[in-house]
Amino acid sequence: MTAVDSSAGSVDLFVSPMGRVEGDLDVRVTIEDGVVTSAWTEAAMFRGFEMILRGKDPQAGLVVTPRICGICGGSHLYKACYALDTAWKTHVPQNATLIRNIAQACETLQSIPRYFYALFAIDLVNKNYAGNPMYDEAVRRFAPYVGTSYQKGVVLSGKPVEVYAIFGGQWPHSSFMVPGGVMSAPNLADVTRATAILNHWKDNWLEKEWLGCSIDRWMEIKTWEDMQAWVNENESQYNSDCGFFIRYALEIGLDKYGAGCGNFIAPGTYLEPSLYENPTVEGRQDALIGRGGVYANGQHFDYDQMLVSEDVTHSFYSGSRPLHPWEGETDPLDPVKSREKGKYSWAKSPRYEVPGLGRTPLEAGPLARRVAAGAPNPGSHQDSDPLFIDMLAKLGPSVFVRQMARMHEAPKYFTWVMDWLSKIDLQGSFHTKPAELENGKGWGATEAARGALQDWIVIENGKIANYQVITPTAWNIGPRDSEGTLGPIEQALIGTPIKDMEDPVELGHVARSFDSCLVCTVHAYDGKTGRELNNFVINGMV
Amino acid sequence: MSSVLWLQAGACSGNTMSFLNAEEPSVVDLIVDFGLELLWHPSLGMELGENATKIFRDCASGERDLDIFVLEGSIIKGPDGSGTMDVFADRPMIDWVTELAEAASIVVAIGDCACWGGIPAMAPNPSDSTGLQFHKRERGGFLGPDWRSKSGLPVINIPGCPAHPDWITQILVALATGRAGDIALDDLHRPQTFFKTFTQTGCTRVQFFEYKQSTFSFGEGTRTGCLFYEFGCRGPMTHSPCNRILWNRQSSKTRAGMPCLGCTEPEFPFFDLAPGTVFKTQKVSGTIPKEVPEGSDHLTYMAHAAAARIAAPAWSKEDMFVV
Repeated sequence: MTAVDSSAGSVDLFVSPMGRVEGDLDVRVTIEDGVVTSAWTEAAMFRGFEMILRGKDPQAGLVVTPRICGICGGSHLYKACYALDTAWKTHVPQNATLIRNIAQACETLQSIPRYFYALFAIDLVNKNYAGNPMYDEAVRRFAPYVGTSYQKGVVLSGKPVEVYAIFGGQWPHSSFMVPGGVMSAPNLADVTRATAILNHWKDNWLEKEWLGCSIDRWMEIKTWEDMQAWVNENESQYNSDCGFFIRYALEIGLDKYGAGCGNFIAPGTYLEPSLYENPTVEGRQDALIGRGGVYANGQHFDYDQMLVSEDVTHSFYSGSRPLHPWEGETDPLDPVKSREKGKYSWAKSPRYEVPGLGRTPLEAGPLARRVAAGAPNPGSHQDSDPLFIDMLAKLGPSVFVRQMARMHEAPKYFTWVMDWLSKIDLQGSFHTKPAELENGKGWGATEAARGALQDWIVIENGKIANYQVITPTAWNIGPRDSEGTLGPIEQALIGTPIKDMEDPVELGHVARSFDSCLVCTVHAYDGKTGRELNNFVINGMV
Repeated sequence: MSSVLWLQAGACSGNTMSFLNAEEPSVVDLIVDFGLELLWHPSLGMELGENATKIFRDCASGERDLDIFVLEGSIIKGPDGSGTMDVFADRPMIDWVTELAEAASIVVAIGDCACWGGIPAMAPNPSDSTGLQFHKRERGGFLGPDWRSKSGLPVINIPGCPAHPDWITQILVALATGRAGDIALDDLHRPQTFFKTFTQTGCTRVQFFEYKQSTFSFGEGTRTGCLFYEFGCRGPMTHSPCNRILWNRQSSKTRAGMPCLGCTEPEFPFFDLAPGTVFKTQKVSGTIPKEVPEGSDHLTYMAHAAAARIAAPAWSKEDMFVV
């Protein structure tokens, strides 16, 4: 309820429940002349998983970290497992890598429609757009529960994780990936059923509802012009949810704001089975199918986990300098008392030491992955896709481009999963029993649907000496650092035009375009009078 | 029509994600067909602006009828009982929970965290987390052992990490269709219809358990045997319907070769995941399981096991779940 800055001519918005994945997010926004001029994102919930893991069994992360976030639990398991693989120097049979890839990708295929319809698209039917000629059609499709597309999208989003359950027993919260492979060994019907379920999902949602064309046709799109031509190519594409979304998004200006920092981080994910039978920290990036990379100031850089650090200057933790996660600390402070010292969030501020730029906040997520996929010199096994480099050059980053990057991954990953399913050697091995080393250091990474997710583990005397997790939400919603540099969502909110102070739906679009897993509460203040204009709650995925 | 308000405290949203996997009824069916009035949910619906906070306030004050209050996530009391480690809509979540629990006809805890504290309450419990009416197996929790809702019921616990969507949806439908009286609770306030049986009930490995034949390795090793002897499977000691009502309509952890972790019981995660306890059966004298199936004892178990091994047919030593 606190107004941040009551200087004349400005209005403060304080946003609390907005949508969630790891607790609650409060957003405070300063508005001048109908445009956001500053923003503070505050993670408002603390559970202390890194402290819980200290002193526990080395494999405790396989059970505990998926519970950090139930929407990305499979991704947590995937990277926690690779952290142990690298620490214990395991051998991972190719079959096991295929199954890990399939499971990780199926979680993301679940997330794409569930996120789009249940969280993002409901803002498209906000009453602020009621005057728009396309509004009635948006409501018919996207209205919660009753919208024709909402129903199909939300219900069918459960299908890809049925495939996860075939290999992992259940979704969410399985721990079936273990150092050296996976616990399961599928039989013939497991693979054929998985194939059939995914085909059902593709036929009934991906191609029929979302694309209005074949996956192959969509994947021919290489430029922004190609995409615009695709929309107008025929009635089916024009009227598909994707075709409609592109037209509507441009109509209501989602391509005009929410740029963010324009710098990106993607550790990448999905390993080429033959290139990663003996997982190492150093060997990972070259073995990736979905490439990693950092993109800053218009330049591509190789991804190096050693350049990551976390700053707690504005976070409710003690600590005096940025630390690499292997040396990372998690010592919570009383949030009320430490507010006096300028601290305002339970999220730390992850930063990446970009060569020549210093410690830099980076945006994580599908757009970061799509940028990495457009870097030069891909390996023959690697994703190489110029589309979003082209769209960034022509449109710049925005709510719209971020959203399209996410949706573009549905047909891409579907194709990959089908390929991996076809490569499983049912007669082969799925696990190599590892030596459980008493000491070691490991790093595991992946791309959760919403971006870079990484664990750093230090094992000493057969137990966890240190465990640090950096989630995509931390990259995106992290607060200011010691230099006062804003986090990516804080930056993305700045410049957002607010048409209706009583219902600033534009803030919802920006925050939700990052798909950060937090519920947010909003308060609006008139800076001139200090009067509270408004407070509201925007929901989301936790 | 029943009104439902669903909040998340110290939660990962796993129960919500699980709930969204539901079919028959799906979330859409619950609302469109069963007339469930979902007043607010963190990941569903669209109340923006004034509306959401107003809904919470009106429900808390009694201005608006609240039939069912669903809580997901642990009750975070830290630091020092202030609850400020979990702030929601401007207040410590514990303040909302206190008022909404008093106002609702029925209170439902979904998932281990809300039932008994769950993983956040694991040592050293940095957030001072607890459950609504239990702390682990101890009665009390946040609301106290004698607390009853307006309808006279204690908190209904639907545990699991996460709870299966059917355990959630079928209870909601039962409450919404006037069958609250048919919901018999066990000592831990769990609906017996789901939690009387064991995780092992319906497990495809139960024949291997019968003849004391073990799985010896993960991966292809799980094509045969039972996970109880070497991999710490808690199926015979855990109450759940995981092998009666399959997960994602497809499988279960034990069917897929993963040992049951006992996540519908208040002690989960067992042994606080101390070194040497994860995916490993705890044994006495190097061979005998420290914990034997519920209701048995070591002597009876050993006699039974010896006889069972003698009786074991040849097929029980071969792969069963073959390509």
